Amino acid sequence: MALLQIAEPGQSTVPHEHRLAVGIDLGTTNSLVASVLSGEATTLKAADGSDVLPSIVSYQNDGTLVGDAAKAHAVTDPENTIVSAKRLIGRSLADIQAKYPSLPYQFCGDENHPELVTRKGKVNPVQVSSEVLSTLRSRAEASLAGELVGAVITVPAYFDDAQRQSTKDAAKLAGLNVLRLLNEPTAAAIAYGLDSGKEGVIAVYDLGGGTFDISILRLNKGVFEVLATGGDSALGGDDFDLAIADYLVEQAGLTRPLSPSLERQLTMQACQAKETLSSAESCEITLELEDGKKWQHELSKETFESLIQKLVAQTLRACRRTLKDAEVTSDEVIEVVMVGGSTRVPLVRKEVESFFKQPPLTSIDPDKVVAIGAATQADILAGNKPDSEMLLLDVIPLSLGLETMGGLVEKVISRNTTIPVAKAQEFTTFKDGQTAMAIHVLQGERELVDACRSLARFELRNIPPMAAGAAHIRVTFKVDADGLLEVSAMEKSTGVEASIEVKPSFGLDESQIANMIKDSMANAKEDIQARMLKEQQVEAARVIEAVQSALDSDKALLSEEELAVIENALSTLAEVAKTNATDDIEKQIEVVNQATATFAERRMDSSIRTALSGQSVDKV
Amino acid sequence: MNYFQLFGLEEKFNLDTERLAQVYQKLQRSVHPDRFAHASSQEQMLAVQKSSMINDAYQSLKNPLKRAEYMLTLRGTEMPNEQASFKDNMFLMRQMELREMLAEVKFADDIDAAIFEATQVLEIEFEGLFKTMQTQLADNTEEANQLASDNLRKLKFYQKLHLELDRLEDFLFET
Repeated sequence: MALLQIAEPGQSTVPHEHRLAVGIDLGTTNSLVASVLSGEATTLKAADGSDVLPSIVSYQNDGTLVGDAAKAHAVTDPENTIVSAKRLIGRSLADIQAKYPSLPYQFCGDENHPELVTRKGKVNPVQVSSEVLSTLRSRAEASLAGELVGAVITVPAYFDDAQRQSTKDAAKLAGLNVLRLLNEPTAAAIAYGLDSGKEGVIAVYDLGGGTFDISILRLNKGVFEVLATGGDSALGGDDFDLAIADYLVEQAGLTRPLSPSLERQLTMQACQAKETLSSAESCEITLELEDGKKWQHELSKETFESLIQKLVAQTLRACRRTLKDAEVTSDEVIEVVMVGGSTRVPLVRKEVESFFKQPPLTSIDPDKVVAIGAATQADILAGNKPDSEMLLLDVIPLSLGLETMGGLVEKVISRNTTIPVAKAQEFTTFKDGQTAMAIHVLQGERELVDACRSLARFELRNIPPMAAGAAHIRVTFKVDADGLLEVSAMEKSTGVEASIEVKPSFGLDESQIANMIKDSMANAKEDIQARMLKEQQVEAARVIEAVQSALDSDKALLSEEELAVIENALSTLAEVAKTNATDDIEKQIEVVNQATATFAERRMDSSIRTALSGQSVDKV
Repeated sequence: MNYFQLFGLEEKFNLDTERLAQVYQKLQRSVHPDRFAHASSQEQMLAVQKSSMINDAYQSLKNPLKRAEYMLTLRGTEMPNEQASFKDNMFLMRQMELREMLAEVKFADDIDAAIFEATQVLEIEFEGLFKTMQTQLADNTEEANQLASDNLRKLKFYQKLHLELDRLEDFLFET
């Protein structure tokens, strides 16, 4: 029995339960997981003491290897060892083959759903990424000794909708509850901003293995406002390696196509050379050719820099455009934060310094800063810091629009709009008696459909026959806080809601994901029923806790009858959740959701009123 | 509740943008989806809705042309759509001249100077129209609002020209 309880005035006497949440930096080359432990965000280590996990998956007969174990097979077994899957995720086959013509994999599947043939069968890039995420999830659960309530997964700010959706699918497949997809430069800004306490405009230059992002943010009293973001989702350190590899092929007098093993050897040697040249003036390269002969070459730093000059200039052009979008000048930038392993290349640092007219900040480990920022955000989202003043205002990187007559794109939401956002646009029919309309959703800045990324095609059917131009078709775009798009359409003049059918052009639909989860469980011999029951029970507990805490603070917004209905629904849910009737639990959760709809609305409005009245009091 | 009321601001064209930004952040702090990541799905959905609405309201008031458009909508002034033809021949002539000016920039001997000069011309004419619209909005009579709406439409033409000049600059810089 407790003899004495000491509590701070105004704080709950019930010790706050710390919810386990992590931030995951799913990188092209390396991945990391971090969590907030006793107030400080730190990266979590594997049993062998390393925290960096190479994002490599190797499909071997005796099992699937991830990380360093997989890396060991990279040269000897390139077809079955997938590196840099992040470069493939959410992309079309044509896109991949145009951008990376010398990949050692055998592709199959259709244009919009590319798959790789391995000895363990066909795998898609989402599955490969989910293997990396699963490994990090197990590491976190072992290290934190408990189950995770959720994770914040970082993505390049310049990732389009298909790439984001695919990353979220990979996380779901790995059994992670995604609290939020967070843009990598924004994550770095959180880590930097909270660490330095500085306020003003900062630039985050993030050059990773496969992607480049530049974000301009304003930091002010815990608010991280992204003013603009830009970049290239297919430009990174890997391209430096490719440039060296192409040069070596030329110097050695080789002709492509080369064997997959030699290709892999080339890129790994090139990567090694790039790293060596960060501190040395020249380096020796030795290739083992297919005829067994050895070929040697000395690569100077000067040659290396001339090979990548064009790529670095490309990043600076993006910086210039993004500053313009942000409506700030480079003089207003008080700090340039460098993120990503590729910012170790001296030429990159030199060019960034001369562009922003100040030495970039490199004191935070560029490999870990993203995971640290993500962990900080995860801790807050999980509800461990109810008093946190932090507010993230992020933007969408690329404009979203619809195809109109003549193959043109009409923008509905323009790039650098703060999310979440909802916008509606009205269209009409152009033929008498037209009863259906095709809706084509696109992402990109160009005016022609062919130059933009096709995200989805919809068909709005059952439009009542009317004269041309009489129908009012309202298409609504909604982008949530993860930067993910949802589109709906309806014909409103007659009040008839027409049906829509969504077919994602890229990535996977819900049923494919469900099937993959089932398959993966069949392999792991996990009991699917048990897992589904567990999931519903966890959800029920979450709902009960959320509603209970809402009642504790805002009961006054309800009449006695309304309160009774909610309390009744809650206690039924608590009872049902103890049983193993999965469907009943799910149904009762829905009942509670219905019963609390008005309550939630009132609470939200009341908090808006409070925020406003607080404002006028401040002013008095 | 209109957007001005939502932000607790007086319904005037010249508003305190610093105060607007402050109230915006305060409102987002109370409804942003990040605050509801562990709440019920009901509340999460509402948070996205309210937060989107506040973002939209903020953008509508922050940008002066959007603010003018929003105010005119509130006042019930009819806004001609983009395709409607202009009766003002003088203005159309001027637009054609300005387009020619932009087309010639890339053939100039000193491109930087030509871009600078074109920017100046656009900005001066924009400012003139903008001031007129400002006064008309303050007058707030049916007639003044109609004139303000015409001027708003003209200002959008200038905005487009400015955008084209930006693109031209990007293009010349990158090649």
